[in-house]
Amino acid sequence: MNIHTYEKAWLVAAMVLIVGFMATITYGAVGPGIAMIDDDGGTIDPAEINDHERFGEPGVEHVGDDEYEVAVVAQAWSYTPEQIEVPADSEVTFYVTSRDVTHSFSVVGTNVNTMVIPGQISEMTVRFDEPGEYGILCNEYCGEYHHTMEGKLNVVPEDEFDLTELSVDAPSEVEAGNETTITANVSNGMQEDLETTVALEIGDQGSERDVTVPGDGSEEVEFTVDSAELGEGDHDWTVTVDDYEETGTLTVVNATDGGDGSAASGGDGDA
Amino acid sequence: MASATETGETDQVREIGHEEYDPVGTAILITIYFLILVLLWVFMYFVEFLGNGPTVVGAVLTVVGLA
Amino acid sequence: MRNAYVDQFPAEAKVIKAAFWSSFLALAIGGSLGLLQALHRTDVLRIMEAPDYYTVLTAHGVLLAITFTIFFLVGIFTWGVTTSLDRGLVDLRFTWGWYAMMVVGTVLVGVSILGGVVDAIPMNADVLFTFYAPLQPHPAFYVGLVLFVVGTWLAGADWFRTWLAWRSDNPDERIPLPTFMALTTTLFWYLCTLGVALSILLLLLPWSLGIVDSVNPLLTRTLFWYFGHAVVYFWLMPAYMLWYVMLPKLSGGKLFSDPLARVVFVLFLLLSTPTGIHHQYLDPGIAEGYKFIAMTNTMFLLLPSLLTAFTVVASMEHGARQRGGTGYLGWLKALPWRDPVFTGMALAGLMFAAAGFSGMINAGMNINYLVHNTWWIVGHFHLTVGTAVALTFMAAAYWFIPQVTGKELWNRSLGLVQVLVWFVGMTFMSNAMHRSGLFGVPRRTAEPQYENFAFEPAAGSMGEINAQVALGATLLTVSLALFLLNMVMTSLGGSSDEIPDNTYAETLSGPEDAPVVLDNLKLWTAIATVLVIFAYTLPLASIIDAGGLFGPGIDGFQLAIEAGPAFVLESVREVIA
Repeated sequence: MNIHTYEKAWLVAAMVLIVGFMATITYGAVGPGIAMIDDDGGTIDPAEINDHERFGEPGVEHVGDDEYEVAVVAQAWSYTPEQIEVPADSEVTFYVTSRDVTHSFSVVGTNVNTMVIPGQISEMTVRFDEPGEYGILCNEYCGEYHHTMEGKLNVVPEDEFDLTELSVDAPSEVEAGNETTITANVSNGMQEDLETTVALEIGDQGSERDVTVPGDGSEEVEFTVDSAELGEGDHDWTVTVDDYEETGTLTVVNATDGGDGSAASGGDGDA
Repeated sequence: MASATETGETDQVREIGHEEYDPVGTAILITIYFLILVLLWVFMYFVEFLGNGPTVVGAVLTVVGLA
Repeated sequence: MRNAYVDQFPAEAKVIKAAFWSSFLALAIGGSLGLLQALHRTDVLRIMEAPDYYTVLTAHGVLLAITFTIFFLVGIFTWGVTTSLDRGLVDLRFTWGWYAMMVVGTVLVGVSILGGVVDAIPMNADVLFTFYAPLQPHPAFYVGLVLFVVGTWLAGADWFRTWLAWRSDNPDERIPLPTFMALTTTLFWYLCTLGVALSILLLLLPWSLGIVDSVNPLLTRTLFWYFGHAVVYFWLMPAYMLWYVMLPKLSGGKLFSDPLARVVFVLFLLLSTPTGIHHQYLDPGIAEGYKFIAMTNTMFLLLPSLLTAFTVVASMEHGARQRGGTGYLGWLKALPWRDPVFTGMALAGLMFAAAGFSGMINAGMNINYLVHNTWWIVGHFHLTVGTAVALTFMAAAYWFIPQVTGKELWNRSLGLVQVLVWFVGMTFMSNAMHRSGLFGVPRRTAEPQYENFAFEPAAGSMGEINAQVALGATLLTVSLALFLLNMVMTSLGGSSDEIPDNTYAETLSGPEDAPVVLDNLKLWTAIATVLVIFAYTLPLASIIDAGGLFGPGIDGFQLAIEAGPAFVLESVREVIA
């Protein structure tokens, strides 16, 4: 078999290309540490997603230091949660699975991109150094309204990020002359303790309470309200913790008006 | 073999045998192609791809020092 | 005296003509649907509802990637085998049998897809070309696919038995190159279609008929890609054959090296199949090591294509120099650029060189995060199957249709315009698709205009990208119409004595220079099988081990309901709860 010299040279050059390409890919794996989606995520029965310890309540979880885990369930044609917020300078591991057909979870304009196959859990770890806002889209056809499947990933500055939740339990009315209690429940999803101040404003009165909410725990703060000081009528109240706020109205009624005095919640909800 | 509609064969002006043929033009073209491939590959990998972060990294992170 | 193919093999010419026309019909329908999609996606003109986009996309993919390419392939290979062995097929009834089987398969698939837009047909197959379970089509879709594939198996058997008949008369001769190419291609086709055939017959069809309850989506998906990458080489190989055996002759020269052509086809036989996992780089459930093996095989698959680039260009240069061309690059001017057959194939080859680059990116494992399932991929395969293959086939038709009908081409100049318009149209469309993929524009999406974010191109704008795609698609449709017009008018014409002889390129370095071992098809098939076993046993075993042969209770979904998304969502949730 006689091969022309030029063609022999080209054969060598072609091999150099091929080996060079594979060397580049290998560099990407060991240098910048790029890892492929693999079988680490394990499998899951799609029928059991609601009872699954991770996917039963999808969302962001703090697992320590700058590490977070985000569980996402994809289904035709949305992601749960639809909005994901994580801090900058963090290392986030996404766990994504599908309730129905094959989807993808692709963060637009980045190299965060995985197929989401029913029965499988896609696990991928991403470092977010800078704050930014990204769209998330499904790039695998998943039925008639596939093109409407989208989500949002917000990477916020570290000091603006927390996993605090506020809920308030307050009666809607109280008989004049009685005392009542407005209870703020502050929960802290971060692993570190949260030192903060819970403030209540009602009518023209205000009070503040410093609390330390333990990591991955919650704390109740009770504010005693004396209706005598408020006087009869409607009184708007506001409970604030950091950037979270709950509001409601407390009505002080004259006892003879026959108000039932039951503690039907007036302002009750989650921040 | 030659035919009026087969431009390729009617226009032949000389016969070049295997021994006397040196595909130098092909060598030039293929070298240019090689260079384009290398340049585009480097551009695509190091600018378009690695510059397109964030990127999926290994769970066991050794990157902290590098990053 | 005229000595065209139809004079040598009148009966075979009829089969080839039928195969070509089946191919053109698929091209006409599938191509027109492409324009509809391009205009819809880019929001230039929306004459259908968004959900219908996916029905149209399924038809576009199946008709062009499977029907158009493979019908043309069986025509070309039948021509190559009979011409190079200089003998007819063994039994024409058998030949018409496999052709009929392919037609019936196509009709079944086509009707089930059409059911997605025509209410009168109680079927639905909006599952796209890849039919990823648990998206579930009507069983007729699967049955049609299987019939079509079995038809191609029988076609392969036809070429093999013709070759064996020739072999018994010519025990010591080398396999003629076109036959060698057809046989090696058929061998890897057998190897790769086995996976998808088993997947359909044992897993998907019983599931769609309700015989088994569930599928393992990762398993059927992996079996699809076991076939899904080799199929791209299946439809590419007839184009390669034409570049090797027609282009040198059209250029006025000889094939530079017959031995290297054989090496190239052997490499395709060996490496086409154990590479499919590179389509699954971003799939969960497959370990990184298996993905790396798939990448290694894929990268080495570049070798036969890179060798082809040299051999084919060197053959063209030989022709140009025999035609009086001189200089380092001045010989390029001496090529027969006015010949649509030559120009079409040469431009197709040039586009394939560009496609080669985007293919190299696609082959790279971790860089796949950047491009996976984006419009980049669509740009890539519109250069490969959409130009390297389609443009080569259309150009070849300008030579082949006269050969199999005995009628002269209606208008050569129009043919030249047609191939040029295709080239220009595809340059616009493919370039824009590639670029937009880099900033995340997804493939397979009817209306990629999102509510809560916008795409951010580093250069240019989404409007400009869309304009290029719409313009490109329009030019391609014009080119397609010109091609079909030329074919129809040629067929309406009368018989002509001006048809060139049925010949193919001679060689500068002939088969006598090729080691005999290259013709040992049994050896190469055995090695190819071992490579497939090596690449696929462990990944398949781990997928089945983790998810079961039939998966964990995964029902079928036909996500197509009249009442709109909210309703579907609700019903899906109910099913799950």
